[in-house]
Amino acid sequence: MNAVEINNLLKIYDNKFKALNEINLCIPKGSFFGLLGPNGAGKTTTIGILTGLVNKTSGSAKIFGYDTVDNFREARTMIGLSPQELNFDVFFTIEELLTLQAGYFNKDIKEAKARALEMLEYFNLTDKRKSKARELSGGMKRRVQIAKAFIHDPPLIILDEPTAGVDIELRYQLWDFLKEQNKNGKTILLTTHYIEEAEKLCDQIAIINEGNIIANGKTEDLISSMGKNHITIETNLDDNTNIEDFKWKYSINKNKLVIETNNPDSDIIEIIEFMKQKSIPINKIRSEQSTLEEIFINLTNKNE
Amino acid sequence: MNNYFQLSTAFFVLLKREITRFLSLYRQTIIPGVISSGLYIIVFGHALGDRIRNNQELADAGGYMLFIIPGLIMMSVINHSYQNTSSSLMQAKFLKFLDDILITPLSGLEISIAYIIGGAIRGIINAASIILLSYLIADGFTIDNYFMTFIYISIVSWAFSALGLLVGIYARSWDHIGVFTNFVFMPLTMLGGVFWSISMLKNEFLQTISLLNPIYWMIQGLRESMIPNNEPFSYLALIISLSFALIFTVIASYLFSKGFKIKS
Repeated sequence: MNAVEINNLLKIYDNKFKALNEINLCIPKGSFFGLLGPNGAGKTTTIGILTGLVNKTSGSAKIFGYDTVDNFREARTMIGLSPQELNFDVFFTIEELLTLQAGYFNKDIKEAKARALEMLEYFNLTDKRKSKARELSGGMKRRVQIAKAFIHDPPLIILDEPTAGVDIELRYQLWDFLKEQNKNGKTILLTTHYIEEAEKLCDQIAIINEGNIIANGKTEDLISSMGKNHITIETNLDDNTNIEDFKWKYSINKNKLVIETNNPDSDIIEIIEFMKQKSIPINKIRSEQSTLEEIFINLTNKNE
Repeated sequence: MNNYFQLSTAFFVLLKREITRFLSLYRQTIIPGVISSGLYIIVFGHALGDRIRNNQELADAGGYMLFIIPGLIMMSVINHSYQNTSSSLMQAKFLKFLDDILITPLSGLEISIAYIIGGAIRGIINAASIILLSYLIADGFTIDNYFMTFIYISIVSWAFSALGLLVGIYARSWDHIGVFTNFVFMPLTMLGGVFWSISMLKNEFLQTISLLNPIYWMIQGLRESMIPNNEPFSYLALIISLSFALIFTVIASYLFSKGFKIKS
């Protein structure tokens, strides 16, 4: 079963801006899914429609099979959202905030209080439980925000830029926490501007730009299929040398043989064997693979 | 599963949140209404009241001071129930923590009703506080019909709480909230007979105009319930109050459910 299933989702705002252009997207249950895109690409609109904060124009979105409009109660119960902006109910302490949030998801008072204390302890906020959110540091506020998403123990967690503006230490802590949660069965949908973060955490990635999904698949498949991978060999060949029977596309520039390949790790052995047979000297060899960031920039720039 | 309304735990939690909010701010939400009503009773009732005579309605009420108390209660109820929902929703919108509620399994109708009940309870608590104060400082104060007094206060609290929600949904700034208070409620309340009887107006045309003011009927209904009289029960005041409560509730709940100016 898919945790999220989006079909032909269209969103046109009142000012006629088309934020989503009939997108289709499936997020498998148990996956750590990255939704990447530049500012204004449609990420927050997509999340908004899934969580009930934005009204769709047409199409459908389902959470674990429940339609976000027709079965909104079931669908929303399945989701925990950590929005990008740190906004808190100003009248209550963080313990009360978490208890209320659990209550909004139909947890009875005893269970809500116990869950709030558990979350506070988990996020190392127990000694701040009687503080109001405005009295906390940025990092603590972010932890409260993420605790709110987990408070009712939903199977799908949506994190919109969860590490924006947090220090490196907390970022790594959050990464570990999220990886652990995913390992324990939570499906996580993450949007982030840190591509490195997505590359490290996500097993699947979709790239959205101008309201269209322009890439979607397993992270490693995306990198290997869409990235520019090559092997560079420093040798003594002249620039115009023709290497006979060489099955890879190549170029030679200043004694550097650059070979294009989709599978540099497996091809490199074969290439070394070939060079040995042809008695072409190898002075230095290195394999280079495009990063997700390069693919992201390449794709989103191409679309502009 | 019923998509429109369920008396769920979530509903009661939101209602509790609304009540806790204004109770925790009692210095802003309860005390000022009691103090200002007390001052009106002292200044207009005790100090000036004895000089206002020659009116049968005032005489029937037992004097000017006792005559104005129902109007003061209604003025406070209208103001506080309206302020509660409009400012609570506006704050949640303005500071963007309304999203915490919108992402929950609560329907738009349930959220609306929880907000409205919260505002209505604030109105009722304010009214009860003024009644208690009146027993303490207004000689001869008594309530003729407790049941109808409670009904009128509840209906009007509900109506203006719903109107507050409606304005809170529509409002884009605090100015919009204040506009209603200053340019609509204050004139209508003052002209609705809080401090005077319509029979004091010499001009028949002005008397007719006053009858078009719905707040006049709300005050009149409460006055008839509180002050002992031999008049037959006036259904018109009750119908007008109920109609406004119903209309404001339906419009506010509908707009909230549709996400008007709340969702993108």
